[in-house]
Amino acid sequence: MEELDKLKRDWQQRDHKFPSLTEQDLYKMLHRKSSSIVKWILIISLLEFLLLVGISSCYSFDSFKQISKHREIEAAIEIVNYLNFGVIAIFIYFFYKNYKSISTTASTKKLMSQILHTRKTVRNYVYYNLILAGLSFIFALIVALNESSEVKGLQQDLNEHVYLKVMMVVLILILFLVFLGVFWLYYKLLYGILLKRLYKNYEELKKIDQ
Amino acid sequence: MSKELEELFVQQLRANQNIVHKICRLYTRDQEAHNDLFQEITIQLWKAFPQFRGDSKFSTWAYRVALNTAITLYRKSTKMATVAFEANWHLPQEDYNFEEEEQLKRLYEAFYTLSDIEKALVFLYLEDKDYAEISETLGISEVNARVRMNRIKGKLKKLINP
Repeated sequence: MEELDKLKRDWQQRDHKFPSLTEQDLYKMLHRKSSSIVKWILIISLLEFLLLVGISSCYSFDSFKQISKHREIEAAIEIVNYLNFGVIAIFIYFFYKNYKSISTTASTKKLMSQILHTRKTVRNYVYYNLILAGLSFIFALIVALNESSEVKGLQQDLNEHVYLKVMMVVLILILFLVFLGVFWLYYKLLYGILLKRLYKNYEELKKIDQ
Repeated sequence: MSKELEELFVQQLRANQNIVHKICRLYTRDQEAHNDLFQEITIQLWKAFPQFRGDSKFSTWAYRVALNTAITLYRKSTKMATVAFEANWHLPQEDYNFEEEEQLKRLYEAFYTLSDIEKALVFLYLEDKDYAEISETLGISEVNARVRMNRIKGKLKKLINP
């Protein structure tokens, strides 16, 4: 007889002895705290959203209003800010929809893809913020450089200030890269701890069907 | 209303608890983790119970939720077994045949070393589920479920007869 059939025969015949839990035991379990990764994903994702929304509203409002003397640029910045809120609302909507679709009664593969999809929404929001931050930074730089040269006008002054400005730019660039580094590390950790097993199992399921 | 639902759920779960126990034993290495996972599966089953329409059997539905919880949702890492947990499996049956018993022991140990997904596949097979149900539960095609099963059979053969 084949090995697996031997195993099956034994499995079926064997009296799998387990401590029999009473209804009282089970009642107590119903309302205890869950240690599901879905719960953790929700908490972490909400914190991420809050943090990013908080940061983006900080730098978009205060620093930029000061940057430009031109009305049009100020107006443009206002519009971008409002659009940004719209984008945030869309992301939150998709996140909520994806989170709600996570179901333990779906197939194993479907459940995994639902969870990964939900995380992807947050990840995309982070990317969006990084890109927006990068673009805003470049934009602010251009505006600042243009306006200061308009005001001063003198070649001498411009030379002096260029040195300082370049220093500032380099410093802020380094800071920006450090931020990126911190983000990257954070995500590696997050995926490493929380989702490593899920990814591994999901890849295996995908491989079976290739 | 909810009290009645709770009662109904607990009754069903108590009657079918062995399914959950078997899965816990499969995916944990000591009694504490076993109890922990049982707890988590109970919570997940209860969460999903209101949507359980009864158009399938409670047991069939429970297999899915319990496996999903053990494989995907359960968060706590399993500690190293302080006692050789597998030894608990191999209580000598009637008509004790040493060679057969040894082979069975090795089979169970091999079963234990399979990946999360392969364990689920073999477990459902041992529980006498057909390939249609196995493939539906895991989310793979029936053809490929058989292919993978054949590969596992080969793996087991090699492990038993080195």
